[in-house]
Amino acid sequence: MKYFTRTALAMALITTLTACGGSGSDDSSTENTSSSFSFTATETITNLTDDVIVAGYENLALQGDALLLATQTLLNNATTENLLAAQAAWKAARAPWEQGESHIFGPVDALGIDPHLDSWPLNTSDLTKVLANNSGFDAATIKTWNDDVQGFHTMEYLLFGNGINTNEKSIDELSLSQREYLAALAEVFRDYTASLADAWTVSYDAGNGAAYADSLKTPGENNNTFYSSNLSVIQELVNGMIGIVDEVGNGKIADPFGESLAQADTSKVESQYSWNSLTDFSDNIKGVRNVYEGEFLGSSDKSGIVDFVTAADAKLAARISAEINEAILLIEAIAGSNDTPFRQAISDVDGRVRIQAAIDALSTLQTSLENDVIPLLSQWDI
Amino acid sequence: MKHKNHLLHLSTVLFLGLSLAACGGSGEDESTNNDVDNSDSTDQDVVVVYPSFTNVILSGGETSATDTNESGHGFSTPAANLTQEDFDLHLEGDANFEMKFTTAPNENNPELDGLGPVFNNADCNSCHQRDGRNSTPIVPEGSDRVLLGTEAGIFLRISTARDIDCELGTAENEYCAPIPVHDFGTQLFHRGVLEARPDWQDNQFIGQADVYLSYEYQTITYSDGMSVELKRPLFAVENPYDSPGESLDSSNVTSELLQEDVLMGWRNSMPVFGLGLLEAIPESHILAHVDVDDSNSDGISGRANYVFDAVKAQAGNDNPVSLGRFGWKANTPSVRVQSLGALRGDMGVTNPLFPDESVAGTALHDSYLTRTGFVDIGSDENGEPEANETFSDAVVFYAETLAVPARRNVDDIDVREGARLFDELNCTGCHTPSFVTQASGELGGKAMSSALKGQTIYPFSDMLLHDMGEGLADGRPDFLADGNEWRTRPLWGIGLTQTVNPQAGFLHDGRAATLEEAVLWHGGEASSSQQAFMALSGVERDQVIDFLMSL
Repeated sequence: MKYFTRTALAMALITTLTACGGSGSDDSSTENTSSSFSFTATETITNLTDDVIVAGYENLALQGDALLLATQTLLNNATTENLLAAQAAWKAARAPWEQGESHIFGPVDALGIDPHLDSWPLNTSDLTKVLANNSGFDAATIKTWNDDVQGFHTMEYLLFGNGINTNEKSIDELSLSQREYLAALAEVFRDYTASLADAWTVSYDAGNGAAYADSLKTPGENNNTFYSSNLSVIQELVNGMIGIVDEVGNGKIADPFGESLAQADTSKVESQYSWNSLTDFSDNIKGVRNVYEGEFLGSSDKSGIVDFVTAADAKLAARISAEINEAILLIEAIAGSNDTPFRQAISDVDGRVRIQAAIDALSTLQTSLENDVIPLLSQWDI
Repeated sequence: MKHKNHLLHLSTVLFLGLSLAACGGSGEDESTNNDVDNSDSTDQDVVVVYPSFTNVILSGGETSATDTNESGHGFSTPAANLTQEDFDLHLEGDANFEMKFTTAPNENNPELDGLGPVFNNADCNSCHQRDGRNSTPIVPEGSDRVLLGTEAGIFLRISTARDIDCELGTAENEYCAPIPVHDFGTQLFHRGVLEARPDWQDNQFIGQADVYLSYEYQTITYSDGMSVELKRPLFAVENPYDSPGESLDSSNVTSELLQEDVLMGWRNSMPVFGLGLLEAIPESHILAHVDVDDSNSDGISGRANYVFDAVKAQAGNDNPVSLGRFGWKANTPSVRVQSLGALRGDMGVTNPLFPDESVAGTALHDSYLTRTGFVDIGSDENGEPEANETFSDAVVFYAETLAVPARRNVDDIDVREGARLFDELNCTGCHTPSFVTQASGELGGKAMSSALKGQTIYPFSDMLLHDMGEGLADGRPDFLADGNEWRTRPLWGIGLTQTVNPQAGFLHDGRAATLEEAVLWHGGEASSSQQAFMALSGVERDQVIDFLMSL
């Protein structure tokens, strides 16, 4: 996980050298308690767990139900209207998943759900053979198959086509085998999203273990081996925010963008078949906003990381809020006035200018989180 | 509040002083590990003495992670003292570590093809989840076993039993390397690319065989009446590619894999941080702890494993053998051999150190190549392996330079008491607290990062083999390690294990769901320490665990 820029590393090094009595360090900088601050994190952690993370996964599970229903309808009645409805259901499921990438820890990783749902790239040659080699599909069998022929992007490929020139697919291009496989994939998808929600709300190990949400909300209590303190949870969440900002700016956008127009590489574009890339990216940063603000946009104000930062530095807290919103706006602005998809924008001169602006905004946000928010964890008088 | 701050200041000064002592400089004498350097006076007559490691915070020296050491990011942070150039290489390796490979050929993403044809997982991160241990498989409710699938981070090592024990490695006996099972090899790959098997149309994406895991349980009870339920994973191998549908229950067992002389043992995935530091421990310092004949009569021997070194072999060395350091039985000599061996083995991705598929020469591979038209032969049209040198070097460097998480709660009285008990129980007899890394040299035949040089580290491992008793034995020798021996597992960072992955377990097969269970499984040379732990009061046992959780 490439969560740290050089600047943050340098700061960590300074901290380390100070602890080890390295030459040139000013010991008073680590003993300066005047910058310490108090903050009671219990409400923040409870709220972010229940009303952001769990709420997001429960929404994802609901969208999984809806996607299964839509693909079953499409299987039974192959109409353009039903194809469009299934495409819309796919996009609707995509949103909570992408927003949830700002807190990708715990069961989503432990249960292997992330690679099951979101493996990329897919394996189109194996997919072709799978469709040709089988008549009828069942979810249990598909779960034993490789991740690169299932999950979001395989369903995306079947629903939207190859995405090279268009993200529209004619119903005539959708074979019975493809529709059967789609419905089975959606069932697998539904099962995994339900398992994920259950792990947070019922039992993290589908057995005797407690709900993962309970462990996150009670750090340091009852032999909690997951989280030892409120600090550990806040550190998890802040670093999770940094992780996805880094991944969007330096991975998802920068990798296909390349260092020049000649180096732009459409094969690396996430959600390239549906042309949903920019929505994916902005949803990632909206996920950061959810964790930071403590609520989904439009919901009533609740406690989030912003309250932790405000306790230390209200001006900084406001600046971070503004930088998150700016990053979202500039990602959305990549589409320009012609609603240009990301996969086309990376090969367009004007589009690249807009993309660079979004990358810069993400870089600014990442730097602020690393250099200004991370240090607050050690200044927190917990 | 002011008073509190004053106390904080005092404690900070004290902490700083202790940290300075703990961080030390190069050249610390290991014999001082248990020296008294601090004490607490609990009353006028009793002075409690704590071992020197009690106050250590920076377990990985200057590489230690201090901003992520409370959370699940604690294993995933670059060493704190990397140069910009090293940092960039680390990030490149980080991306490679997460790279998910696909079946060759992949026209759209040729840089990602090369998976398999048989394998255990498709990327490094899926087994070393968040750079830590893999998830312990869950047996579904209503079932007594689980089929290992795509999320499994555990696999079986396999080999054919030798007629007589191998005690001296020579070129003729391949340095006592495990003998491959004919037509299978030394590792069982339960997954495959779509057409891996000759009967692929009935076994799509299945590898050499199906592997099932189940658990058997036992209860261990303390003298105070408290009890702990222990579980042990069992395996069942069925449906091998050379005899589809067959199992040990079949009336006529014909598969090479299911013969009586085939040895099998579980292997869990291990955390990947701090590995460069472990490789940088001077060999002489490790060997100084060897006590094959137990000359000090503490019940603990400690043996070195000497293993085949592919780096030396590739360089033309006449005696390609090195001290084993990595793997559950210390069966690999370096991060490079371990990492690139896993790339080729666990994932089936050939690379410059291991340019041939691990199943090359088996009937499965021959059949696969013929059936699929030789489009996935393990190298490209120029003869280059599936992962090139740049990729390989970066991923090795990544594993060499992940930071060790700094310790937590070192001033907690229970943690301190736990440290004292850990020493008193002679856990340190194998879990050697500290080493100093070498000041110069190479790792895996390449120049060592300056970040790793001359660091005082606290891995809590002697890096040697110990007989851990029948309860943990897998009966499968590996080079000079016998079927009862395991390398002492480094304990640094172990307290964050389930923060990183809540489903992670401990020991070579993930059998221990808690650190307490792991302690209770210790037998053989560790029996005295285990029994001494069991004789502690409940409070004291908790203190030992508190200490481990602080690491």
